[in-house]
Amino acid sequence: MSESQKAQKTAEAAEVSNFTISEEELAAAMERERGELEKTWARPTGVWGWLTDTDHKAIALRYIVTAFIFFVLGGLEAALMRIQLARPNNHFLSPDQYNQIFTVHGTTMMFLFAVPIMTALGIYLVPLMIGARDVAFPRVNLFGYYVYLIGGILLYAAFFLNTGPDAGWFAYVPLSSAYSPGKRVDIWAQMITFTELSALAGAVVIIGSVFKMRAPGMSINRLPLFVWAQLITSFMIIFAMPSVMLASGLLASDRLIDTHFFNPAEGGDPILYQHLFWFFGHPEVYIIFIPGLGFISPIIVAFARRKIFGYTAMVLSLISTGFIGFGLWVHHMFATPIPQMGQSFFTAASMVISIPTGVQIFCWIATLWGSRLNLKTPLLFVLGFFWVFVLGGLTGVMLASVPLDLQIHDTFFVVAHLHYVLIGGAVFPLFGAFYYWFPKWTGRLLSERAGRLNFWLMFIGFNLVFFPMHQLGLNGMPRRVYTYLPETGWSTLNLIASIGAFILASGVLVFIINVVWAYRAGMVAGDNPWAAESLEWAVSSPPPNFNFHNIPVVQGRYPLWEGIENAPVVRGLSTTKREALVTSVMDAQPELRFEIPGPSIWPLMVALSAAVMFIVGIFTPWAILTGAILAGIALTCWFFGDPNYENHTARETGKKSPTISPVSRPPELQPKEI
Amino acid sequence: MSTREVIDVSELPHHEFDTYDPVWWGNNFLLAIETSMFAILVATYFYLRQNFALWPPPVAQLTATLKPLPELGYGTANTILLVVSCIPMVLTDLSARRGDRRWSQIGLLIAVAVGFTALVLRSFEYAAVYFRWDSNAYGSVVWFLLGMHMLHLAVLTTEAVLLTIWVFTREYDMKHRVDIVTLAVYWYWVVGIWVLIYAVVYFTPRLG
Amino acid sequence: MTSKTNTISRICQCLLALSVSSCGGIQNAVNPAGPQADSLSRLWWLMFTVCSVVFVLVLIAVLLALRNRTSEPPANTPPLLELPPEQQRRRRNAIISAVTVTAVILFVFLIVSYSAGRSLTADLAHKNGLTIDVTGHQWWWEVRYNDADASNIFTTANEIHIPVGVPVLFNLHGADVIHSFWVPNLGGKRDLIPGKNNSAWYQADKPGVFRGQCAEYCGLQHAQMALWIVAEPQDQFNAWRQSQTQTSMTPTTDSQKRGQQVFLSAPCVMCHAINGTPAGSNVGPNLTHIASRNTIAAATLSNTREHLAQWIKDSQSVKPGNKMPQNNLGEADLQALLDYLQSLK
Repeated sequence: MSESQKAQKTAEAAEVSNFTISEEELAAAMERERGELEKTWARPTGVWGWLTDTDHKAIALRYIVTAFIFFVLGGLEAALMRIQLARPNNHFLSPDQYNQIFTVHGTTMMFLFAVPIMTALGIYLVPLMIGARDVAFPRVNLFGYYVYLIGGILLYAAFFLNTGPDAGWFAYVPLSSAYSPGKRVDIWAQMITFTELSALAGAVVIIGSVFKMRAPGMSINRLPLFVWAQLITSFMIIFAMPSVMLASGLLASDRLIDTHFFNPAEGGDPILYQHLFWFFGHPEVYIIFIPGLGFISPIIVAFARRKIFGYTAMVLSLISTGFIGFGLWVHHMFATPIPQMGQSFFTAASMVISIPTGVQIFCWIATLWGSRLNLKTPLLFVLGFFWVFVLGGLTGVMLASVPLDLQIHDTFFVVAHLHYVLIGGAVFPLFGAFYYWFPKWTGRLLSERAGRLNFWLMFIGFNLVFFPMHQLGLNGMPRRVYTYLPETGWSTLNLIASIGAFILASGVLVFIINVVWAYRAGMVAGDNPWAAESLEWAVSSPPPNFNFHNIPVVQGRYPLWEGIENAPVVRGLSTTKREALVTSVMDAQPELRFEIPGPSIWPLMVALSAAVMFIVGIFTPWAILTGAILAGIALTCWFFGDPNYENHTARETGKKSPTISPVSRPPELQPKEI
Repeated sequence: MSTREVIDVSELPHHEFDTYDPVWWGNNFLLAIETSMFAILVATYFYLRQNFALWPPPVAQLTATLKPLPELGYGTANTILLVVSCIPMVLTDLSARRGDRRWSQIGLLIAVAVGFTALVLRSFEYAAVYFRWDSNAYGSVVWFLLGMHMLHLAVLTTEAVLLTIWVFTREYDMKHRVDIVTLAVYWYWVVGIWVLIYAVVYFTPRLG
Repeated sequence: MTSKTNTISRICQCLLALSVSSCGGIQNAVNPAGPQADSLSRLWWLMFTVCSVVFVLVLIAVLLALRNRTSEPPANTPPLLELPPEQQRRRRNAIISAVTVTAVILFVFLIVSYSAGRSLTADLAHKNGLTIDVTGHQWWWEVRYNDADASNIFTTANEIHIPVGVPVLFNLHGADVIHSFWVPNLGGKRDLIPGKNNSAWYQADKPGVFRGQCAEYCGLQHAQMALWIVAEPQDQFNAWRQSQTQTSMTPTTDSQKRGQQVFLSAPCVMCHAINGTPAGSNVGPNLTHIASRNTIAAATLSNTREHLAQWIKDSQSVKPGNKMPQNNLGEADLQALLDYLQSLK
């Protein structure tokens, strides 16, 4: 037993017999414990430290910064496209450049920005919101980041070397198989492999954490809506990603080793590729959108100063959206020769999915109704969501109709729709989330004035870019065209859209400036600048490495509004080893003291081996074997090496479910801080 | 000064079997991912079948055989081997739970032997299919089904080897007993999913 | 005026109209010229109207919810954990009503949509119309008019004539990659997928020229893979069809004869067919009646002598990446070739 544990036991023994511990001694004991915790959970330093740090907050911040850089790159690609399309018969970009750019834009935004950033916010906030000291699988978490980074670097290295993929972000066969010579599409396919491995890793980490690492008392019906959204998204990732894994894997296989999955001459089927891709592709947009819904609820609750209206309905809506989302994919394929009767089923499903989303919107309005709202920037972005996303959702209902879709499919109408729902449903809530949680991550508030400017530039710019595109689609302008003839009459609307793009971009620029400024000079935030209700606001800003010194027992859905000062706390987790509390799935009864691994180089090593396998493997099959062997070695060291905790022999004695001490301890010894 | 109750967790164990341990959940989510992948691959098999009047498609050289069904020998032997191997694996599982190091060692050695044998048998199964992966869509999808499962057999065998080495040379502690039980779950899954694939590849063409 | 001049003047008028309007137009889904497009246009306006009303109502609800704004920071307002039961009930009922209305609207949309879809194919399947095979290539449209009588079958490219008031069945095939056949004024699009058969019915109810464009990304020149559908009265259509089934015009002048020789000895003959000459390759568009078409290069350039010259000499400058190589012809050869091609009416 360590010094402090002995001290603690003595103190506890003493207090039962005589009330002799004073407040100062208690405070000193807590200080000592805190010091030990800080040492035990200290972040490693230097380059080696950066490579091995498994702290979920560090990993999440890396994800956020990386994903934001990709967002900006994707935005620059969009700006280039808008410059090219601003005038008819423009020669700013060649067709090959344009085709690479729109492919990389879509791929970047969908795979390198949208999913990772949603994962990132989950990885940062979920452990804090559920009262855990870390995620369930910290090294898997770090591995997920590395494969994501490698995938992104792969794509951009190829792009800057003029070998960027150019078959669209969806890469339909036969264009992407027999009619795309060179390595471009192979690079795309392998980048998919990396990003989907990363998403899967993140999903397993989040579900494992949400299921098993919640604070005692946080039964499943007390889970914050943010956490519900992340949980459901993670399940969707688990069932959807394998489909794109197969789509890209079978495509790579057709290209590299001459299989015939998609080759009609040998019984293969181009429509099979579309099924495989869209079975993933449709849930993918919900994977991006549902976390956004999870951002909106806490922001509305905090600003409305009320509990959410219809918590159960909200949870059921999220779950049904997740389920129904798997039944829509054929609506991307209405122009193929699939029989109309079958297609109509997908029309029905595509329309039905708007009902749970509608329920959520109505519940949010009901929560806001009549409350004393302070319109700060996070709430502004939420209001922006209502405008933009509802409009996008309505055009989605139009696209759901098979016959109408046959007119507007693959036109700029769809470009308008998808940006309204994705930017409205994910990016606006995301920016709201940035303004809301930036104080927690950095300890400082972003500027309100800059935030308002940011919002209005983005809102006005966005609508200027994308609203005219509805008209352009109806006027006959197809997608993915690098130019158009002046006689088509599309020039004016395209020019308006291009101007809007620069206004939108300036809004993002204002955001970046705001972040850079506020990081050093923003107002100090304190623990809970928004007087909000969930557990992440109970700790300091930024939180200590170990998140919670004394994990609180949760007694309701809104812990900080429901008397957390008097809630019981968890004691007995080690301060000299990294320990977290594992609880049961439904009722969060304490079960184990889980040993959290410390910093480790093996996630990086496994990621690099995967890089050898999948990237060098495009060029020579020997790399696949070599990479596999390297990965095997790295994985062995990972799972059989020392994870920085002691081994314990045999089955341990001890009760699995401790009871709450029936006798309340005397007041002097109660830790005040969480 | 406020009163605050305390939950003392210092007596809780560090590892436990089954749903108590996050590792159980992590393992099962990985298996859920792989199951989805195989389910979609099986759906692909049946989807491609629609493009063929005869399935498997006729082979030019075998003039007498219009329908070159995959030969049953190696595949069936492998299936029987794997299904039967679940028995020693259950015993290994139970031995880990009760802390019996001797039986864990024996069970894991058997597992390693079965794993290698299964891999060898699998490599003969490819020849039992009358097509290569690059002959036609049928060949491609069948090789993929066999191949993806073979990857799992390889990983399973490697894991069994590593655990065997550990159990012989290092501490037989709670963490590694949980690992043995986790291996057992993975084993059952590899066998179970193989039975499905075996039925699809070897039997569904014989049905209709 | 010949039917050809009629058509050109109609095109010019339409182009003029197009460039100043955005609701009218010859490549426009809400400017229907046939029953299918009309049905879809009406469906569009119904959904647009209902959705606009819904959008406005939701926004009003959001704005009304903001009535009680304050500049007090959130910390100054104590949180309210329980709404009074009366308010709770009222809001719950409001939400239930809203969800019910939503469900009803969606159900109506579903029915209307399904019946619009049925109307696209149901009636027409019984009528005896025209059958045209369209094959999508990178980056042009191969068009083959079918007929029970083999002497009436002919192949052309990028320009399709149809008689007014007659349903036309288009059989759609992809030769290389997936393309999509779309003429918005006449109806919705269908994909041309290699290895698969797809089909679309179109009918024009008034004469006119309608522009279509490939609507599935198909590579470098997807943006410049357009086509024209010319709808004309039955007798004009018959006349056009009659002339298209003829073999190619024999060159009469010396220049034309020289041009034909240039054609047959240059790389042209590797890809292009001209019926009645030894040139029979199907790799590129059939040029038997090229002079009868209004545009060249898949409706990218109008069919003038200057454009033909530009296209022949350096098609890469018009459509970079397209399959036609540059041709270094001497000036005299080029003029002769142009004379010949322009004679192929």
